[in-house]
Amino acid sequence: MHVLLPRTLEEALEMKASAPPAVPIAGGTDLMVELNFDRTRPQAIMEISRLPELNVWRRENGTFSLGAGVPYSRIVRDLTEFRPLVEASRTVGSPQIRNRGTVGGNLGTSSPAGDALPVLAAYDAEVVLAKAGGKIRRLPFAQFMTGPKKNALAPDELILGTRWKVVRGPGSFSKIGTRNAMVIALASLCLVLDEDGRSVRVALGSVGPTILRAPDAESFAARAMETAGVWRDPFGPLPTRVIEEFGERVAAAAKPIDDVRGTAAYRRHACAVLAQRALRWALDDRKLTGAR
Amino acid sequence: MVISHALGARIKRREDPRLITGRAIYVDDLNFAGMVHVAIVRSPHAHATIRSIDTTAARRAPGVVAVWTGEDVKARCGPLPVGPRIKEMKAPKRFPLVIDGVVRHVGDPVAAVVATTMDAARDASDLVEVDYEPLPSVQDPEAALEPGAPILHQDLGTNVCFRMTYGGGNVEEAFAGADVVVKTRIVQQRLIPAAMETRGVVAQYKGGELTVWTSTQIPHVVKTTLAETVRLPEHEIHVIAPEVGGGFGSKLDVYGEEGLVAALALALGRPVKWIESRRENFIATIHGRGQIDYVELAAHHDGTVAGLRVRAIADLGAYSQLLTPGVPTNTGLMCCGCYRIPNAHAEVIGVFTNRTPTDAYRGAGRPEATFLIERAMDLLAAELKMDPVEVRRKNFIPPAAFPYKTPTGAVYDSGNYERALDKALERADYRALRDEQAKLRKQGRYLGIGIATYVEITGLGAVAGLSGGNWESATVRVEPTGKVTVLTGTSPHGQGEETTFAQIVSDRLGVPVEDVVVLHGDTRAVPHGVGTFGSRTTPVGGSAVYVAAEKVKDKAVQIAAHLLEAAPADISTDGARFTVRGSPERSVEFKDVARMAYKAYKLPAGMEPGLDVTHFFVPKERVFPFGTHLCVVEVDPDTGEVTFRRYIAVDDCGNILNPLLVAGQIHGGIVQGLAQAIYEGVTYDDEGQLLTGTFAEYVVPQATDVPAFELDHTVTPSPHNPLGAKGVGEAGTIGATPAVVNAILDALAPFGVKDLQMPITPRRVWEALEGNSASR
Ligand SMILES: Cc1cc2nc3c(=O)[nH]c(=O)nc-3n(C[C@H](O)[C@H](O)[C@H](O)COP(=O)(O)OP(=O)(O)OC[C@H]3O[C@@H](n4cnc5c(N)ncnc54)[C@H](O)[C@@H]3O)c2cc1C
Repeated sequence: MHVLLPRTLEEALEMKASAPPAVPIAGGTDLMVELNFDRTRPQAIMEISRLPELNVWRRENGTFSLGAGVPYSRIVRDLTEFRPLVEASRTVGSPQIRNRGTVGGNLGTSSPAGDALPVLAAYDAEVVLAKAGGKIRRLPFAQFMTGPKKNALAPDELILGTRWKVVRGPGSFSKIGTRNAMVIALASLCLVLDEDGRSVRVALGSVGPTILRAPDAESFAARAMETAGVWRDPFGPLPTRVIEEFGERVAAAAKPIDDVRGTAAYRRHACAVLAQRALRWALDDRKLTGAR
Repeated sequence: MVISHALGARIKRREDPRLITGRAIYVDDLNFAGMVHVAIVRSPHAHATIRSIDTTAARRAPGVVAVWTGEDVKARCGPLPVGPRIKEMKAPKRFPLVIDGVVRHVGDPVAAVVATTMDAARDASDLVEVDYEPLPSVQDPEAALEPGAPILHQDLGTNVCFRMTYGGGNVEEAFAGADVVVKTRIVQQRLIPAAMETRGVVAQYKGGELTVWTSTQIPHVVKTTLAETVRLPEHEIHVIAPEVGGGFGSKLDVYGEEGLVAALALALGRPVKWIESRRENFIATIHGRGQIDYVELAAHHDGTVAGLRVRAIADLGAYSQLLTPGVPTNTGLMCCGCYRIPNAHAEVIGVFTNRTPTDAYRGAGRPEATFLIERAMDLLAAELKMDPVEVRRKNFIPPAAFPYKTPTGAVYDSGNYERALDKALERADYRALRDEQAKLRKQGRYLGIGIATYVEITGLGAVAGLSGGNWESATVRVEPTGKVTVLTGTSPHGQGEETTFAQIVSDRLGVPVEDVVVLHGDTRAVPHGVGTFGSRTTPVGGSAVYVAAEKVKDKAVQIAAHLLEAAPADISTDGARFTVRGSPERSVEFKDVARMAYKAYKLPAGMEPGLDVTHFFVPKERVFPFGTHLCVVEVDPDTGEVTFRRYIAVDDCGNILNPLLVAGQIHGGIVQGLAQAIYEGVTYDDEGQLLTGTFAEYVVPQATDVPAFELDHTVTPSPHNPLGAKGVGEAGTIGATPAVVNAILDALAPFGVKDLQMPITPRRVWEALEGNSASR
C-alpha cells in the first residue's frame, strides 16, 4: 500500500487528480476500522490530517466555515457558541477518538449514525468540495449525503469543510443509545430555533437511510409558536398539546428499521421523546435569555 | 487468626506498577527467531457437513509453511478433556480441529494455516476452500429437547448431555399445602466474557522440551492434559502462563488451540504463535450463562416459604468443555439461597445446541441460582403485599443453624444473613428511600429499590476428574539471605495475590512484605497446582501459603533454639529476631537462622538442611460467602432508560486480608453483574449466526455507565481454613444482577410489570410500558 504525504492542500488535490483511488485519511477513526476488519484494501492512502488549510475555521458576513480537519476535541474547547455542534462533538466516542476524529471524516463516511451530521442538517449547512485547479463546489447537506454511507463526493475531490449561516436562537443535540458513551446512536436529534427567521429546524440521525429533516413538524411548531405569541414573548405559554403533537410529527418523519441494537418502533418513539424534550429545553432557554 | 499489621492492611497491589506502565509481558509480547504464525479457518455455518477442503491455493500463498486440516490432527493428536465426570453424562470427544467432518457452531475450527507472518497466515486462510453442506441446526435449548430436533452428535443419539436432580423433603406435599404459589420463567442470556486480553498460545520444542506459553487460568491442568493431546510424556512439557489479561472463567479451560499450536511446534520444529482476534474471541472462546429456569415457590400467608421447584435447562452449546456441566449443576446445588426451605427439588438438564460452547463465567451457576431465588422472593413479596425485606427476614437461615445443610445438599459453613441485610438497610436509610419513592411516584417519577441477599459457594477445588481433590499447593522458601520466595499453584491473572500472599507470609514470619516475592503460573517453577477460579485462590491457595509459612516458622524456631542453646518453647520472635524468653541478650537474627539452615553444620540432630516447605492444603469443606446488595434506580418512563441512583453492597467474605483488593474485586464484580442486568446479551439469528459479533453490538458498560459504590462488610470467619477467608472474586457479580433487576421491577411495579427479559434495555422497558399506564 502506498502512503501519500501531501504538504499542502494544492499538493493533495493534485495527487487526488492524478491518482483518484488514493483514499484520504484524516483522523483515521473510521478508515482504520475498515482496514483492520479487512473490509477495504486501498492501493494508496493519503494522509491529510496535517494539511493546514483543513485545520481552520473562519467567520465572514454572518457565515461560519469549519475546516474538514478540525478534530472534535477542538470544537468542544473552542466553538462553544455553537451549542448543538459542541454537544454532538462531545458525545462522539472517547477522548482518544475526539482527539483524532473530524467532522470531515464524519461527512466522508456519511453514516446515518454520524453524530455531527444532524447538526449540519439542522444548520442548513453546505459542504464545500474542492478539486485541483481551484475548482470549488458547494452542496447543500441534503444533496451531499445521498444514502447510508453514500455521498456526492467525486473521486478527484476532497472535502474542504462545511459552511453555514449563523442564526440567533437556542438549540440542542441529543441522542439515545445502548449506554451512556462510546455508542452508536439508536436515534439522535438536533433542534435549532431561528429567532430572526422565526423558524424551527429539526434533523434526525440513525432513523433512516440519511439524515432526515422533519419539515411538517418544523412548520407546525413555528406556526403554533406564532399563534401562541411565543416568538415575541418567551414567557408566553405554548400548550402541552402542541409539544406532544410536535413530537408525533417528528416521529412521523422517521424511517427507522429493526436491527440488533433496537427496533423500528422504539426508534420512532425515541424521536418523539427527543423532539419534545428538545423543544422544551429551547423554550426554557429562551425564557432565560429573553429570546436574544 | 490474629490480623497483624501485614494481614488486613490496605497495601496497594504490587503487580500494578508493571501493568500500568506497560512493562508486563503477555503471550503476544513473545517473539522468537524463526517463529511462524497460525491463522485458523473457522466454520461460517452453525451446522454443516464438510464435503471437501481444498488447501492447494493456500499452500501456494506467499510465506505459507503448512496447512493442517482435521486429517493432520487425527494423525497427530489425542482428544481434549471433556468435563467433570457426571453420572451418565454423554460427552462428545473434541479435538484441536474438527476431525469427523461435521461443524457444529459458527467458529468451529476446520483448518490451520501456518505462515511466516501473521498477516500472511490470515491472508492465506482466506484461500482455503471448504465445501460445506449445511445441515438443519438447533439454536434454542428447549427446541433441542423436542423430538425430531436436529441432533448435534449422532453417536450420542441425543442432545441431552446430562440430567441431574437435587433436593429433599416432600415438595409435592409442600405445594399442595401452600397458601400461595408464585411462578416465573427466567432466561439467563448468554454473555461474552470479554477479557481485555484475548487468548493466545506460543509453543516451542527445543532440547527435548516442549514449552507452551498460554493465556490461561490453569497452567498445571493444561500441562497434564496436553500430554495426552500431543502424546508427549508430561515431564517433557513446560507450561507458562505469563501475564494474563483477565479471564473471568473464559481461560479456565483447555482449548483446542493449545493442543494445535503445541502439535504444530512439534511437527514443524519451529516456534509457533497463535493470537486470537477479537472476532474469534466472540465465537471461539466460551460464552457464559445461557440457562432457562422454570421456578415455582410455594409459601404460607405469613411469608414462610414451604417449597421450591426448579427446572433448569442449560444451553451447553456444541461441546462439553473442561467444566461445562459443572456450571448449571451449581445452580441446582445453590438454588435455596439464604433461606430455610424445607422442601426443594431442582432438575438440571444440560443440552447441546449449535452455538459456541458455554462454560464457567464469573459466578458459574451461582449467579443463576441467586437470581432465580431472589426474583422468586420478590414475586412472593409482591403477591403477599409484603415488603421484600420482611419476606427475606422471615425465611433466613438463623445464625444458630450453622453448619446448615440445604435440601439440595450444600453444607453452609457459617453465616449471619440478617446482620448483612441490616447493615445495608441502615446504610441506605431504607425507610427514607421508600418514603422518597412514594413521593416521587406522585410526581410521575419512578424510583426502584432492589435487594438481593445472596449466599454462594467458593473454595472449590479442583476440576473433578482432572486433577483430583480439592487442594492447592504452596512453597515457602526462605533464601539463605533471609529473603522469601513463595510459589503458588494458583494462577492469579489480575486478582492481586502477589500482594496478599506476601502479606500472609509477612504476617507469619514477620519479614517485611518487600522481602517476599510470589511466583506463579510456571509449571517448572511451581511443583504442582490447580489454578485460579471459583473464588478459591485465597481460601485454598492462601491457606496453603499460610500453612507452609507456619511450618517454615516452626523449623526456624527449632534452628534458633539450637543456635541459642535453649528449648524451642522458650523462643519468642518478632520476625526479625529470635530471642530466648527472659534473656533479651540471647538472640539471633532471622537472616542468620536462614543462613545457618543452609550452612547446615549447626542443625539440631536429624534435621534436614534448608528452610523450604511445600504444603498441599486440603480444606475440610467448602466455604459460603454471603451478603446483601441494595440498588436504587430511576426509570424514565418515556425513554425506558435506567439511571443508577445508589448502589450499596455489604459483603461477608470472612476475614479480609486486604480491604483495597477486596473492594477492587467487588467493584469489578458489580460492574459485570449489572452489565448482565441492563447491558450485555448475546444474540443469534435463527441460523446460528452471532448478531452481537463486535463490541459495537455487544454493549459492555464503561466508567460512565456505572454508579459509585458504597461498600461495607460484615466479618463471619469460615471455620474451614486457617485464614478464616471465604473468597470474594465472584460475590459482586452474584449479588448485582438480581439487585439491579429487582430495583427496575420495583420501579415499574405501578405499571403492573412483573418480569423483564435481561438485558433490560430502554427498548424492553418501553415495550413493557406501552399500553400500561401507571396506576398510582
Ligand atoms: C471507538 C470509536 C467510537 C466512535 N464513536 C463515534 C460516535 O460516537 N459518533 C460518531 O459520529 N462517530 C463515531 N465514531 C466514528 C468516527 O470517529 C467518526 O465518524 C469521525 O468523525 C471520523 O473522522 P476521522 O477524521 O477519523 O475520519 P477518517 O477515518 O480519517 O475518514 C473517514 C472517511 O472519510 C474520508 N475523509 C476524511 N476526511 C476527508 C476529506 N477531507 N475529504 C474527503 N474525504 C475525507 C476518508 O477517506 C474515509 O473514507 C467512532 C469511531 C470509533 C473507532
